[in-house]
Amino acid sequence: MVKLNIDGKTVKVLEGTTVLKAAEQAGIYIPTLCAHPQLTPYGGCRLCMVEVEGAGTLQPSCTLPVTEGMQIKTNTKKILDARKFVLTLIFSERNHFCMYCQVTDGDCELQNAAYDESMTHWPLQPNWQPYEVDASHKFFVLDHNRCILCRRCVRACNELVGNFTLGFKERGANSFLVADYGVPLGESTCISCGTCVQICPTGALIDRQSAYQGKEIEVDHHLSVCVDCSIGCQRDVLTRDNRLIRIEGDWDTSLNHGLLCEKGRFEPLAKECNRILTPLVRKDGSLKAATWDEAISAIIEKIKPLTGKKEKGLAVLASSRLSTESLALIDEVFNQGFEAAIVTSIEEDQTSSVAAEIAKELGKPFESKLDVLKDTDVALVLGADLATDHQVAGFFLKRQQASGTKLIVAGTKENRFIDKANLKLQQTKGTSLDLIESLTAALVELRKAKVEDLKAADALYSSSEKTGLAIDSLLKTAEYLSSAKKPVIVYGKGFVSNNNKVALKALLEFAALIGKNGAPLVGVKGQANSMAAAQLMLVKPFKADSVQAVYLALGDEIPTKKLTKDLENVPFVAVHAAYSSQLTANADVVLPAAIWAEEEGHYLNSDGRLQKNVKALEAPENVLDTVTTLQKIAELLNVKTKGDWKSQLLARVSSVEITQG
Amino acid sequence: MAKPKVASDWLSGCAGCHMSLLDIDERIIALTELIDLRATPITDLKEPDKDGVDVGILEGCINNTYNEEVAKRMRERCKILVALGDCAVFGGVPAMRNFSGAGEALKRAYIETESTDSEGKVPSDPELCKPTRVKAISEVVHVDVFVPGCPPSADVIFYVLSELAQGRMPELKGNMLDWH
Repeated sequence: MVKLNIDGKTVKVLEGTTVLKAAEQAGIYIPTLCAHPQLTPYGGCRLCMVEVEGAGTLQPSCTLPVTEGMQIKTNTKKILDARKFVLTLIFSERNHFCMYCQVTDGDCELQNAAYDESMTHWPLQPNWQPYEVDASHKFFVLDHNRCILCRRCVRACNELVGNFTLGFKERGANSFLVADYGVPLGESTCISCGTCVQICPTGALIDRQSAYQGKEIEVDHHLSVCVDCSIGCQRDVLTRDNRLIRIEGDWDTSLNHGLLCEKGRFEPLAKECNRILTPLVRKDGSLKAATWDEAISAIIEKIKPLTGKKEKGLAVLASSRLSTESLALIDEVFNQGFEAAIVTSIEEDQTSSVAAEIAKELGKPFESKLDVLKDTDVALVLGADLATDHQVAGFFLKRQQASGTKLIVAGTKENRFIDKANLKLQQTKGTSLDLIESLTAALVELRKAKVEDLKAADALYSSSEKTGLAIDSLLKTAEYLSSAKKPVIVYGKGFVSNNNKVALKALLEFAALIGKNGAPLVGVKGQANSMAAAQLMLVKPFKADSVQAVYLALGDEIPTKKLTKDLENVPFVAVHAAYSSQLTANADVVLPAAIWAEEEGHYLNSDGRLQKNVKALEAPENVLDTVTTLQKIAELLNVKTKGDWKSQLLARVSSVEITQG
Repeated sequence: MAKPKVASDWLSGCAGCHMSLLDIDERIIALTELIDLRATPITDLKEPDKDGVDVGILEGCINNTYNEEVAKRMRERCKILVALGDCAVFGGVPAMRNFSGAGEALKRAYIETESTDSEGKVPSDPELCKPTRVKAISEVVHVDVFVPGCPPSADVIFYVLSELAQGRMPELKGNMLDWH
């Protein structure tokens, strides 16, 4: 511990702490602009200057490490004058006229800083040099006139997301924010995660959708969880007058620390789908508007005779975007109560179900939490395209590459994440099992592991033939993994496709061979509640020609072409869906469903965190959520429900330990 | 002690700051008991007294040679000069044209406007004042009190005037600051 004195207060902090952090711990406020809790200190804006006894000049507290006996002052006249001067210079650099900016009234950190210093005006006018406005990006606008050159966006893009799209050209007053080598943002390597927009302290980067829609003081916040994939990022949903304004990450959360991807941040607002707003029943060949009672009676009339019928009976299908409450109730009503021919989810990604089966065989969880991805020196990613799905997990890995972390990606040529890899294992033929066998052989060949009865050299040669992977790449992978201090293996849908239990078992054995303690394994699992669907055993194969009727709880999922085609020849199809699609157009009864923001419920993410998606919007009139609809149906089917979803969820062993939040 | 004399004038602005002054509503009666309200653009007397006033208030920015004359006249005739509103303090909305130049702005306004026919031309009568670069008042004359806001709220204006009326210098901070 280091002892120092700030404004007459004795403060004890850990060695290596900055003066800014030490002051924070002591409850002493020092204003900042370029500093951000999630970023490495940069010392660019000079607003956080303090007086250090013995130092000739003021020092930036954000980059200054504490030393024993340091005497710091944070609010002398000299400092207050310096702060005003620093702000004056920033204001004079470009166009910072608040009256033509939408980021104001508490939303702009530059304006707030000026208010904190009681500035009534700025003593220097800018030089009236106009800068370009880059409006080429589909989700946000970059107005260089509002940029204060703090480089928060650049640091976020590099340090947090590992995308390295943003950078600076020139120096001093000519410094200029650029994407790649100076191309418009919309044509750059930007992956639209929006972290730069969220971290920008001024109006330089603004979100198109929410611009002029409501300032911080006018919106409501709903701390919730993303339901667009199974990472389950914690996010803040901003609404105003029952209107979705914007989605932001929350820097203080434990899973994603404020990061979101395009799918979680921008796409829910950009979605252009037609809402279904009234129940529809097919009469004389066409769908006609009906009341809820009429629509539900039409369903009951068709399905009731199928009670308990296992052949040519009722199939109940559910989206794995639905909450655990909804999925558990579907299981309770239709599986346990109604005894339908089949009750399952429409999840195509089999990661959850394969993992659940292995866990059942082992009798215990075998996967690790996502946190292991945040601190690793060698990561092997198998069959998961983290540049397309589960992107935030990809950010955790990509951002460590600059500090030496090796990323090895095995996948097909469609896998976009393979482009980011330090070592690419692009398999042209063979199976996942072949890949693991070849990697095991490589490990044994390097004498990093022992496997009985394995002639490593021969096995390596033959498996290389089978997979089309170069022996050199396999040996390098084995070398990286076995010499790693914190190795980690991630697997996804590409690895376990075709219900590949054998490959996953082999992977488990392979992971155990790495290093002294084996490498932790992380499975990234399909849709938002895919793991809950697997826990509730809603993962059975569905054949459309074996059933008389289908009840599909689709929620706000957009059905795939395959599902639409599969259901075409089913004699009776009832769908509870939020958006109209070809599938709903073909259906016999359509019930209007609530969307993610209108329905609360729990979700089990890829690493077993049970998290709550909170209700942020009231559903339109005549639209009902899944649980309420199921309860109505259960009542008419005379099925009693307990709704004890939690014990249903925890009834069997899971692939990764289930934890709260 | 005689009531302090207060006069106001407007330059290039939208009159919104004077509207906000009127928004102090019935408090204006209390205020007139404390001050002697002289020339303003919204009263009959239009020019500040030749023998001077205690407080001069200016709304709007300096946008042309005439504004400059008015600002200088007010400065000469008052003891304490108040810059009222974002245009007076910073240059405000009219200052947007500084990024393109007055020439471009005049061309857009008199020639390129959708409702202007092919005869459009920029007025150039020698009687007219000359447009200049848009300036905050403090770029031309010394300002004693800055009251930012677009417009400053009635409460802030009332606070500033009542402080000045009672011989104190207003200090704007916290919630009273609003640059818009």
